[in-house]
Amino acid sequence: MSERYDVVVIGGGHNGLVHAAYLARAGRKVLVLERRHILGGAAVTEEVFPGFRFSVASYVVSLLRPEIIRDLDLARHGLEILPLDGTFTPMENGDYLWRVNDHAKTRREIARHSKVDAEAYEEYGKAMVEMGRFVKPILSMTPPDPTSLDPRGLWELLKIGRRFQKLRPDDQQNQVQLMTMSAVDFLDRWFETDVLKATMAASGIIGTFLGVRSPGTAYVLLHHYMGEIDGAFRSWGFARGGTGSISEAIAAAAREAGVEIRTEAPIAQIRVRSGRATGVVLENGEEIEAAVVSSSLDPRLTFLKMVGRKELPEDFVEDLERYKFRGSSGKVNLALDGLPEFRSLPGAGQHLRGAISISPSVEYMERAYDDAKYGRFSRRPYMDVVIPTLTDPSIAPPGKHVMSCFVQYAPYHLKEGNWDDQREAFGDAVIDALAVHAPNIRNHILHRQVLTPLDIERVFGLTEGNIFQGELTLEQLFFLRPAPGWAQYRTPIRGLYMCGSATHPGGGIMGAPGRNAAGVLLSDTKRRRA
Amino acid sequence: MSGAGRRDLIVIGAGPNGLVAAALLAKAGFRPLVLERRPIVGGTAVTEEFHPGFRASMVAATAGPLLPSLVRDLDLARHGFEPIRPPVRVFAPSADGRALLLSEDPARTASDLAAFSPKDAERFAQFQASLAGIGALLSPLLSITPPRIDRPGGADVLRFGKLGRSFRALPRRDAWRLLRWGPMAVADFAAEWFESEPLRAVICARGVAGSFAGPWSAGTAANLLLAAAADPHSGGPGGFVRGGMGRLSEALAAAARAAGAEIRTGAEVVSIQVANGAATGVVLAGGEEILAGAVVSGADPKRTFLKLVDPGEQDPAFLANIANLRSSGTVAMLHFALSGLPEFRGLAGKDPASALSGRIHIGTEVDEIERAYDAAKYGDFSPRPYLEATIPTLSDPSLAPAGSHVLSVRAQYAPYRLKTGTWTERTPELAAAVVRLLAEHAPNFQDRILGMKVLTPPDLEETYGLTGGHIFHLEHSLDQVFTMRPLLGWARYRTPIAGLYLCGSGTHPGGGITGASGANAAREIVRERKKKQGRR
Repeated sequence: MSERYDVVVIGGGHNGLVHAAYLARAGRKVLVLERRHILGGAAVTEEVFPGFRFSVASYVVSLLRPEIIRDLDLARHGLEILPLDGTFTPMENGDYLWRVNDHAKTRREIARHSKVDAEAYEEYGKAMVEMGRFVKPILSMTPPDPTSLDPRGLWELLKIGRRFQKLRPDDQQNQVQLMTMSAVDFLDRWFETDVLKATMAASGIIGTFLGVRSPGTAYVLLHHYMGEIDGAFRSWGFARGGTGSISEAIAAAAREAGVEIRTEAPIAQIRVRSGRATGVVLENGEEIEAAVVSSSLDPRLTFLKMVGRKELPEDFVEDLERYKFRGSSGKVNLALDGLPEFRSLPGAGQHLRGAISISPSVEYMERAYDDAKYGRFSRRPYMDVVIPTLTDPSIAPPGKHVMSCFVQYAPYHLKEGNWDDQREAFGDAVIDALAVHAPNIRNHILHRQVLTPLDIERVFGLTEGNIFQGELTLEQLFFLRPAPGWAQYRTPIRGLYMCGSATHPGGGIMGAPGRNAAGVLLSDTKRRRA
Repeated sequence: MSGAGRRDLIVIGAGPNGLVAAALLAKAGFRPLVLERRPIVGGTAVTEEFHPGFRASMVAATAGPLLPSLVRDLDLARHGFEPIRPPVRVFAPSADGRALLLSEDPARTASDLAAFSPKDAERFAQFQASLAGIGALLSPLLSITPPRIDRPGGADVLRFGKLGRSFRALPRRDAWRLLRWGPMAVADFAAEWFESEPLRAVICARGVAGSFAGPWSAGTAANLLLAAAADPHSGGPGGFVRGGMGRLSEALAAAARAAGAEIRTGAEVVSIQVANGAATGVVLAGGEEILAGAVVSGADPKRTFLKLVDPGEQDPAFLANIANLRSSGTVAMLHFALSGLPEFRGLAGKDPASALSGRIHIGTEVDEIERAYDAAKYGDFSPRPYLEATIPTLSDPSLAPAGSHVLSVRAQYAPYRLKTGTWTERTPELAAAVVRLLAEHAPNFQDRILGMKVLTPPDLEETYGLTGGHIFHLEHSLDQVFTMRPLLGWARYRTPIAGLYLCGSGTHPGGGITGASGANAAREIVRERKKKQGRR
């Protein structure tokens, strides 16, 4: 019954689907195999409670590459991005900070806290756009291998160096500091308002096991300005119908290009014969042959579970074992029969339509991290909260709301007890932390879904619950992602490729790994086919 | 003759880097005048009496070590410098009453480690070899001037080419390791190698020594690798100087004088005079003005630019960048005069005089060191700080009356700014915490104390002129090293003011008593001044 494919793609997450679509558009016969009953991986919309549809895991669109939206014509396939305007941060002293996309308004708001900071905010924004321009092309390149003698790779490195040299001296300094400093240290150079620094720094720690004072977290500050450069739409937004709509649009584009997609098709094994991938075996025993296998799963699942150690070089296995996942976040999804009322800014105003950031001070953020460092979930966690029903009422019954709380820190490895026992205590801590600022929240909760890192691992197949398929720390980025010497989407097994978030440039609904990997795979196999 | 006439070069500060620079400049034919604020030379490398009859190396306890080329070229042995290399590098009592020993002799280290973990004992040799390989690659970096990255010159390209070649000559595995380890947290780095907690803690300590960072802070593995460039022994610095660190400074001063430098102590520079964008001389605290062709500052960058040079003469953007440099100290020094050797636990069957001869590491778990750092993040010190102690009298009895001992402690983390109270109020609390912690491992410690001297970060600032009390002038972190020390574009010992140079720890390669900053600065100054003279 098995028919032979050019490429079998493991995993129907957004990267797997982007990857498949590009391959099919280049004329390859492609099959995507997804373990779950729905497509999307961590980018899914599910009706968790009757009538309430949630972006269960990933909940905002940030960095989806504009070239992918264009190439795959995602708008025609139903993708519609609704703006997510602003970030509202309630403070412990009863005040708040509310930044919006309207620049003048945000300036006035920051000036309320500090006039100096309002000035600096302008300068900062300009500097970040410059930095973003420098970094952007790096996202879509295949990382060179600095230890090889391949002149092409050296040339690529040299080119980055040349572009760096052309930056203005101030920008050079900013760039180097962004790559090496902690978010707070970097922001300290610009601002004095604590709540502003805390909220901005929060973007640097999302999905990592790092605190806002950990070096290496400054870099992610840039991501907030990338969207502006892309110009296609605002930096942050919701997909109409929930995040799953993105995956559905990509899947539709892929199908149109000729990709075959099967759900509920969990894979047990990647077949390897004399160092070459020849196909996959499903859990039900079905075998599917393919010239090339491309996995969007993380390297631990792909290699240690599906390929097996004996097929792999010892050094590579050692590197994979050292590859750090360390999931650090959880998700609490609430079905509400009313809106939260914030003490610092009552009423159902515009401030509820953007992100609500529970990051009242740098110390609050850092103490949340300290809890996790010693193996317990944050008693007072950092949260990024959105209420998408205010923008897209279609996803809940009339008058009702869904509220999504991204929560950090929730370390996968607990020092005491296990997540199955602590799930509800964790959920309670989240509600308590919210209730500090919006006491009425308790009265409006109809249903509560708590996802611990363990649940994220179980449901979405993300090892240790890491939402980016592995820590985004400097030693696991660029030519080191996922393993030294194997950052070019190829693997030690011939005919086996990687195309997921565990490859450069990493996680987030960006699609870049899937697209970059397709480029490498196509150029490798073109030569062979020719 | 002092004060009269114009000097060709003035060096501000007679710390090790200032003295090295002066000595090398004098050897190159200049007649530098070194001006030292304090009554003694040495900066952070000084021996002082802190209790009647007891002398200690007040700030730096061990040599970095000093670049071997300097020891040779300046003939320091002839000038009285005598290094002491104790047989043990680290003694680390553990929570269970045992003690970990890292010795100079690798075989002994391995056999001592085996008691904790046979696996670790086995891996230690491999660790040592890997570190030595990387240290050997990095070590030439200490003695180079960071390249210009905006417009690299021919020499820079050549130098980088060479570095690139030696990087490629590393075994591929080590090349990747270097790239991967640099940005890592030293706690992860230690865990990759070893399984026993006391050993991990000792390794971690090297990544955080003197830094405002904990073992779980990213980038701390780089500190360890850079330290390996100066001394590849994985136990960390272990060299004392006979007569204390002050003797090293005196030898440097003697070498500088012999080469033709003049050194004035008790001469505090309060201002660097600038006219038309060029340094013209200095003004001393008494009002005396000394004109000079060039001024070389061994003071830290903040003190140099924010205090000594008139802001009106400087670019505000440059000054803002200087003000933003991170230089908040985290170290307190405590010196104890002891009536006898304290009896440490975990020494059964060992000769205490030998076992305690190196550095004594008090921080039994990685997380305990991290917790000590946590306190500092919030502007406090931990009741259980991480301590590094030395008993220099074991190898050099001349520092104390016969039979008695000096125990010097570097306590971390002691933040410059406290959230509650002042250092004056809270110093006794810190001292009590240190004594209590030492007594956990050496129960009779308290009974042996005859006297004590505590130096908090504000003391280090006031007495030793270290802005923010940072013993390395500026934090050693990825954003403040090499081409970024002190600032990107100004890492080549020159400054925006013509004829004003930096030669202190705030320049590449930074703190630790290696003399490398002073030597690099001298080389650049000679090159530039000679070029100028040639043009005349």
